Amino acid sequence: MAKKEEKIVYVDSKGKRLDGRKVNELRPIKIKAGVIPRANGSAYLEWGQNKVLASVYGPRECLPKHTASPYKAVLKFTYKMSSFSVPDRKNPRPGRREIEISKVCGEALEKAIFMERFPNTQIDVTVNIVDSNAGSRIAALAAASVALADAGIPMRDMVSGTGVGRAGGKVIVDLNKDEEDAPDAVDVPLAILPNSKEIVLLQLDGVFSKKEWQEAYKLGVEASLEVYEKQKEALKEKYVITETKKGVEKK
Amino acid sequence: MTKRLVIPGELVTEERKKLGSHVFVNEGKIYSDSIGLVNDESDYASVVPLEGKYTPQEGDLIIGVISAEKFSVYTVDVNSFYQSIISKKELREIVKPGSVVSAKIYKVNELNEMELGNPRLFFGGEIIEIGPVKIPRVIGRDGSMLNSLKEGTNSSIIVGRNGRIWAKGGDLDLLRKAIKKIENEAHTENLTNKINEFLKKNSPKIEKKAKVEEEEMESEE
Repeated sequence: MAKKEEKIVYVDSKGKRLDGRKVNELRPIKIKAGVIPRANGSAYLEWGQNKVLASVYGPRECLPKHTASPYKAVLKFTYKMSSFSVPDRKNPRPGRREIEISKVCGEALEKAIFMERFPNTQIDVTVNIVDSNAGSRIAALAAASVALADAGIPMRDMVSGTGVGRAGGKVIVDLNKDEEDAPDAVDVPLAILPNSKEIVLLQLDGVFSKKEWQEAYKLGVEASLEVYEKQKEALKEKYVITETKKGVEKK
Repeated sequence: MTKRLVIPGELVTEERKKLGSHVFVNEGKIYSDSIGLVNDESDYASVVPLEGKYTPQEGDLIIGVISAEKFSVYTVDVNSFYQSIISKKELREIVKPGSVVSAKIYKVNELNEMELGNPRLFFGGEIIEIGPVKIPRVIGRDGSMLNSLKEGTNSSIIVGRNGRIWAKGGDLDLLRKAIKKIENEAHTENLTNKINEFLKKNSPKIEKKAKVEEEEMESEE
């Protein structure tokens, strides 16, 4: 009696996915550094359909004062989804999910910054999600790390990452919303420090076998390094363009 | 002399070199800790940063804005991590929030807080802000850039190390444009010559304006 449901093929015989990407291919990424003049550092990032605006203020006086640490700076990371960033209106009050993402992303960035050089101060990082379609916490992290570098805050390394997971029984990189909604979906946001390949953020949504995880980890690190190259380009572009635009110096 | 642009965490050199500023060592290799320029021919492995806040250093001259008055001190916004204070004993003139003062940094502690001395009050003029890391380019080698700015715009200029420039008189519009140009092109070479050209190209305006004013004066007479 049960109605036969139409089965979605997530990865076809040619290795193409729903949106025509390969298994290990990222969605197109576009980053621009220094978009907000009043902020100390800022970045705008488009990752597939995700659109993210990150701004950095500080290091500055830590308020309220009891949150300050005399040993290191305090990173105050805010992940904020606009109410129009999802198909149904999102309540603008920070929810459980946003508070959790703010915490884990902040802790990931803390690993990259020389926090001990700025005792008694706070660094405010605010990421506004303007449009979202799966993998927005990694997009937020990538944009925030470009904004921090743009603010001139000393860092050990950038933070780059990607989502990895499974849809339709195949391990794939950078899932979009349709793939994340697959019946057997596993979603793993993964962020690393590109130089040391040290993992700074890892969350798991679903169940992976050991073999699948090993493959996913390998693909995830490779894809994260691609993201790193994009971040690097974006930061350097800010200085090269001003040279050629005004015809001052041509490389 | 070619300079290379590096981002945080990018390799500066694998050789063993003397350590300069804005670098750190990891497993025997030297990495940059901020976005900036590297001179590969130098004996020192160091990065000249292109962005960043002002970190106070002893002996620097800074320009502050009075933000509040307390019982025996004025609190001053110094464009750094915290506010600082100036004693009323040292600054005898009556000042209000918003007044501009220059001061010398006598002491910096491990929290980057500073003690100020030698305060001097400024009357009139205006403050032009620029990234603190670009202040050395505004001054130039042996003050060459500062001199050409003073000559080109005919205004009196005082440069604070904390990224504030106080200026009065002369062509302030031109000065603002010139400083904007320095800020945008701080990472390029041969900047003093470019600014000289820029000032020369735009300076006739002053003469024209002056002439017009003179003519007006004459006609009034």
